[in-house]
Amino acid sequence: MPSAVQTLDISPVGRVEGDLDVRVDIQDGVVVNAWTQAELFRGFEIILRDKDPQAGLVVTPRACGICGASHLTCAAWALDTAWGTTVPRNAILARNLGQIVESIQSLPRHHYGLFMIDYTHKNYSRSKYYEEAVKRWAPFTGTNYELGVTISGRPVEIYALLGGQWPHSSYMVPGGVMCAPTLTDVTRAWSILEHFRRNWLEPVWLGCSMERYEQIKSYDDFMAWLDERPEHANSDLGLYWRMSLDVGLDKYGRGHGRYVTWGYLPHEDKYNKPTIDGRNAAMRMKSGVYDGRTDTHKLMDQYQTREDTKHAWYDEAGGLHPFDRTTKATMKNTTDHDGKYSWSTAVRHAENGRLEAGPLARQMVNGGTHGESWQHHDPLILDMYKRMGGASVLLRHFARMHEGVKLYREAEHNLREFRLNDEWYIKPTEKDGRGWGATEAIRGALCHWIEVQGGKIKNYQMIAPTTWNVGPRSGDDIRGPIEEALIGTPIADASDPVEVGHVCRSYDSCLVCTVHAHDAKTGKELARFRTA
Amino acid sequence: MANLLWLQGGACSGNTMSFLNAEEPSACDLVTDFGINVLWHPSLGLELGENLKKMLNGLVSGQIPLDIFVFEGSVVNAPGGTGEWNRFAGRPMKDWVADLAKVAAFTVAVGDCATWGGIPATAPNPSESVGLQFLKRASGGFLGPAYKSKAGLPVINIPGCPAHPDWITQIVVAVATGRGGDLTLDEFGRPKTFFTSFTQTGCTRNMHFAYKVSATEFGQRKGCLFYDLGCRGPMTHSPCNRVLWNRQSSKTRAGMPCMGCTEPEFPFFDLAPGTVFKTQTVMGVPKDMPQGVDKTGYIKLTAAAKAASPAWAEEDIFVV
Repeated sequence: MPSAVQTLDISPVGRVEGDLDVRVDIQDGVVVNAWTQAELFRGFEIILRDKDPQAGLVVTPRACGICGASHLTCAAWALDTAWGTTVPRNAILARNLGQIVESIQSLPRHHYGLFMIDYTHKNYSRSKYYEEAVKRWAPFTGTNYELGVTISGRPVEIYALLGGQWPHSSYMVPGGVMCAPTLTDVTRAWSILEHFRRNWLEPVWLGCSMERYEQIKSYDDFMAWLDERPEHANSDLGLYWRMSLDVGLDKYGRGHGRYVTWGYLPHEDKYNKPTIDGRNAAMRMKSGVYDGRTDTHKLMDQYQTREDTKHAWYDEAGGLHPFDRTTKATMKNTTDHDGKYSWSTAVRHAENGRLEAGPLARQMVNGGTHGESWQHHDPLILDMYKRMGGASVLLRHFARMHEGVKLYREAEHNLREFRLNDEWYIKPTEKDGRGWGATEAIRGALCHWIEVQGGKIKNYQMIAPTTWNVGPRSGDDIRGPIEEALIGTPIADASDPVEVGHVCRSYDSCLVCTVHAHDAKTGKELARFRTA
Repeated sequence: MANLLWLQGGACSGNTMSFLNAEEPSACDLVTDFGINVLWHPSLGLELGENLKKMLNGLVSGQIPLDIFVFEGSVVNAPGGTGEWNRFAGRPMKDWVADLAKVAAFTVAVGDCATWGGIPATAPNPSESVGLQFLKRASGGFLGPAYKSKAGLPVINIPGCPAHPDWITQIVVAVATGRGGDLTLDEFGRPKTFFTSFTQTGCTRNMHFAYKVSATEFGQRKGCLFYDLGCRGPMTHSPCNRVLWNRQSSKTRAGMPCMGCTEPEFPFFDLAPGTVFKTQTVMGVPKDMPQGVDKTGYIKLTAAAKAASPAWAEEDIFVV
């Protein structure tokens, strides 16, 4: 006879930008069902209605202080496509550079500040790596925690050179950028990158040069690299990998096995006349949908985006494309796990259903041969996915950190390609129309839709990576990606289920998250804890 | 040792992100060198033991002393004053704020949302957001105009969208090291040491302002952003050009107009059509003058500036 189901309510499961509550049902020490619930509504889409067409450049970066450059990128490209602007080469490079340094910043900040502290959790005190983990990664006092959190502020100094400050600049505008950097700015940017590489990326994270790391193209290459030198095995990457295996983080957190990325970093010479339909063929990092069941890739098309509201606190029809949404909030947001239980809509692809967004999704798509021959291709993570039998907490977070070296190379590319005496901005003519701008924030697919009518915003809609991942069940009651990924999670101690936190945090959702544990039979609360 | 609790209401975490950019002292230094005991922060992930609610209740009951209560984000009152649109640890966040503000020695509002309501409070303010002790320029906010923390101060307002990390750390360190008595606040609860000078103070474009040479479009290598591009540097109180951002620059230095984000009205004009990145004028004269300058004075000043302007002022100055 199966044991009784225990229900675990997690409120909040720590992260930022609002609050995430998670409820899990536990049976025989394993999660058998899950619900993710976004607990904050600010109504940015409502605020933007009837405002200046450029209001999105000011408001949307402030939707998320962590991904502000990414929101700004979307807001600017959305207006560019609506107004039919011409964007000079330098401006594309300057926008991309801002996007990249924000993402590089987030690597050590999220890794040490939010993710690795769990490895110092007492649950893992029997791991042979525990003592070393505490020495390096304990909050505030761990040697590499302090180094990593502090050095994470450096990459965004480059953002300040372009936009004056990070977070929350609005230096990207339709027609280009506000800045006109000088040679000194470029020199400083180079030296900031070098400092980051010489003091953390190579010696602490990789334990080798970027060039050596870049030779890794397959799972076998990676395993050979790990054993090649003690510096590799003992680097923060090496220890992350070994300890994650030791505590079983390769065994759960799988998810739907279907992935989405909008692609990002438009090519400086291929998106100067931006249009919605011309975007896919202009991205350095290609867009795509990867289906793990059929092992097939295809390009992602924004017309396929749908938002379901059956389980979300909105009084509007489900299955709408964002251009058709009206954002009518439910006044009384009562939690009903069979009915409506989240401020997040359930986003899906009209053909492929629920999709996971994020660095893992980007890397799964990067492994495909679809798209343009000149676009970025990297087979490593897809090979690991196949060799390791699917996604896991281990692989999802590794995919995030794997992007560091690639983003660094992209930043170098931008600095090399600036033609400082050429133009940075071409003043556009304001007009009515529909636009769409997208990018990849570090935590995944982000995009904005805008409709300008009569010289003001008629409709503004955003779908964040967290909307994809943290959304509730869809109209056909399919679980959201994190809900699905929680299924099968082993819970060693129902009164302290750190494993739930690992899964949520591997998605880097931008919500603060707490877990409540309940015995389903008696209704008694077993535990409540936050996961970051 | 000072106990610090940091909570977020209607927030984007931008002030937390800004705070983590701090270097002297860094966020870690605050803990290791200045004895700040971070009881809880939504994203810094300190171990909390079993039960956040238990700790919050311990603070509310006075069992655990709360030396510094930092609040980021707006206080959400929707729907209909219930605060249910922003729940935290099982109840509306506003109820936690009300309880915690009563027991805090110092209450610090970080960023525009917590000080004045900020972006969420922009019309039509769907989340019914207010700041801790102000809504825009009106005194009151969530805690009321008479509120004083246990140390006898009103809410210490550190505005900005986001606030600069040095503004935050300096206040926290001052309080933790017993120098809270040195803090002097202006009529909006802002520490005077930061918010008496103007954003324009120290701006690299001051000579262009003086000679009325305008940056007429973005991406130019000269000119003041006040005359055409809507810069609010001359009438915004902040040290953005004295204490640089990310140790490198400021918005106006980089070519972005100041949007006045340390002032209660931000975002100005509620972002009405035609107001973003464009100077609002009447008959060619800016609607909003540099602080303390009247229309007649402005016309005389700019006429003289134009007449005296040297030829070089029209040439590029921030050249490659």
